[in-house]
Amino acid sequence: MFGLIGHSSSFSEARLKARDLGFEDLADGELDIWCSAPPQLLETFEVTSNTGKTIQGTYIDSCFVPEMLSRFKTATRKVQNAMELAQKRGINITALGGFTSIIFENFNLAKFQQIRSTLLQWERFTTGNTHTAWVICRQVEQNAPLMGIDLAKARVAVVGATGDIGSAVCRWLSRRSGVADLLLVARQQQRLNDLRTELGGGEVLSLEEALPEADVVVWVASLPQTLTIDSASLRKPCLMIDGGYPKNLDGKVNSPHVNVLKGGIVEFARDIGWQMMEMAEMANPRRQLFACFAEAMLLEFEDWHTNFSWGRNNITLEAMEQIGAASIRHGFSVLGLEAASISPLPIAA
Amino acid sequence: MASSVLVPSIADGLPDFSSEAYKSAYSRINAIVIEGEQEAHDNYISLGSLIPTQVEELAQLARMELKHMKGFQACGKNLGVEADMAFAKMFFAPLHNNFKQALAANQVVTCLVIQALMIEAFAIAAYHIYIPVADPFARKITEGVVKDEYTHLNYGQEWLKANFEASRSEIEQANRTNLPIIRRMLEQVANDAAELHMEKESLIEDFLIAYQEALMEIGFSPRDLARMSAAALVS
Repeated sequence: MFGLIGHSSSFSEARLKARDLGFEDLADGELDIWCSAPPQLLETFEVTSNTGKTIQGTYIDSCFVPEMLSRFKTATRKVQNAMELAQKRGINITALGGFTSIIFENFNLAKFQQIRSTLLQWERFTTGNTHTAWVICRQVEQNAPLMGIDLAKARVAVVGATGDIGSAVCRWLSRRSGVADLLLVARQQQRLNDLRTELGGGEVLSLEEALPEADVVVWVASLPQTLTIDSASLRKPCLMIDGGYPKNLDGKVNSPHVNVLKGGIVEFARDIGWQMMEMAEMANPRRQLFACFAEAMLLEFEDWHTNFSWGRNNITLEAMEQIGAASIRHGFSVLGLEAASISPLPIAA
Repeated sequence: MASSVLVPSIADGLPDFSSEAYKSAYSRINAIVIEGEQEAHDNYISLGSLIPTQVEELAQLARMELKHMKGFQACGKNLGVEADMAFAKMFFAPLHNNFKQALAANQVVTCLVIQALMIEAFAIAAYHIYIPVADPFARKITEGVVKDEYTHLNYGQEWLKANFEASRSEIEQANRTNLPIIRRMLEQVANDAAELHMEKESLIEDFLIAYQEALMEIGFSPRDLARMSAAALVS
């Protein structure tokens, strides 16, 4: 059995979902009611791999909503309680989805292993970041050429370069994808310097400096609501991979020469009998899902019952290759641009 | 998932156990705990009349509750606080009356839901939250007690599980009637609990986690749990 810990993308959406599920009292409740709501095991379903193997999965809603981010204790409790529930239900490997892994990492919840009478076993959990990073890199490699961007000559900006996913993406793009120039954007200077040393290259730039320079922009940081992008200043063409959470880049860019692709999303080879992705605004919710969730499925398919992705900056190229190969083997493909939406290729000379 | 910048606040430290405000709040919280353990003792003894085949086991559970009560009386003495027992009796009265009515009507299921599920889950939640903010003496006592309370929760859980189909509708009815009372009880002590650095929000959540877990073990589906526990969330 694998598990997925998720949450609604907003309080209003959570209420709608509660009404859909027949939880009228919760649907009518104010935010403080939700702050006291325990995690709920919402559904159990089966997934069958291309290899023929069938596994069972469970979706746990942590009852967290992003409006709780400013409440440190509440947000912490939601994550810890959902993890405790997953472990108590005997789930082998559970992915921390959405803000769950961000809260775990940023609030340093690894310090708190004892939850009431339960000692959390970290090997039962994964952030799913290795698969997410691999998927984002494959999205760059597969979609840039479709727009006429030659990665061997391209400048690729990674926004959030020093994060767990960002640093892995930088490693892969510089060593496996043969990208000409990497532009590294992040807030913390020391971490940027360390990353640059590790990569043996890359140019450290501010966001404002990097954007007009980049043929491809990989976003793996959450974007502030207030961020505005001057679409006219971007390169033509420009591919943007929206790999952060939540995915809100689409509304910030308006140019026929720029394609925005939801990053870190995979499509499965067949329909999955679940309801939960309906609310995650996937174009095809029966088949599309976050790569971090898919990582839990892959670990269960392969019987790799271990915290495959854990901590910060531990993602190796070998681990990315390993999870990538499993991803293909079991029937996942990375989300690509739809043919109709691709900006016209420059006319060949 | 990608990272963003979230800055945690510093976790609360320990309260000032010698302050008047703390002692005043403690006089009521301590009384509730003492009264709760006393009533639990009496309730398990009474349950013996409804489940005669398990009189001895119930008597043993009851004896544990009395031991707990003495431990908590010592906690009050240790801090120089006199427990406000009159308040505690009033605090428990609505739930206690429902228990007594069910007992008189031979409703063993309702009695078990009130005592072995709700009150025990309430105690487990409260003790877990209290332990990290307790004075060193009370911490040791409470750590010992909380282990026993799981045994009590487990007793009711196992009985109801073995009789699930026959008990189902009575459990649901007992839930509807009594969960809002639990919620009101939590509201009533929220300010005193806050003085002890125990937050209402987490008390309710932890109570529901323990309670839902018991319901799940008994045989309710995950969807049932969410519906049933909503009664404690919405006042």
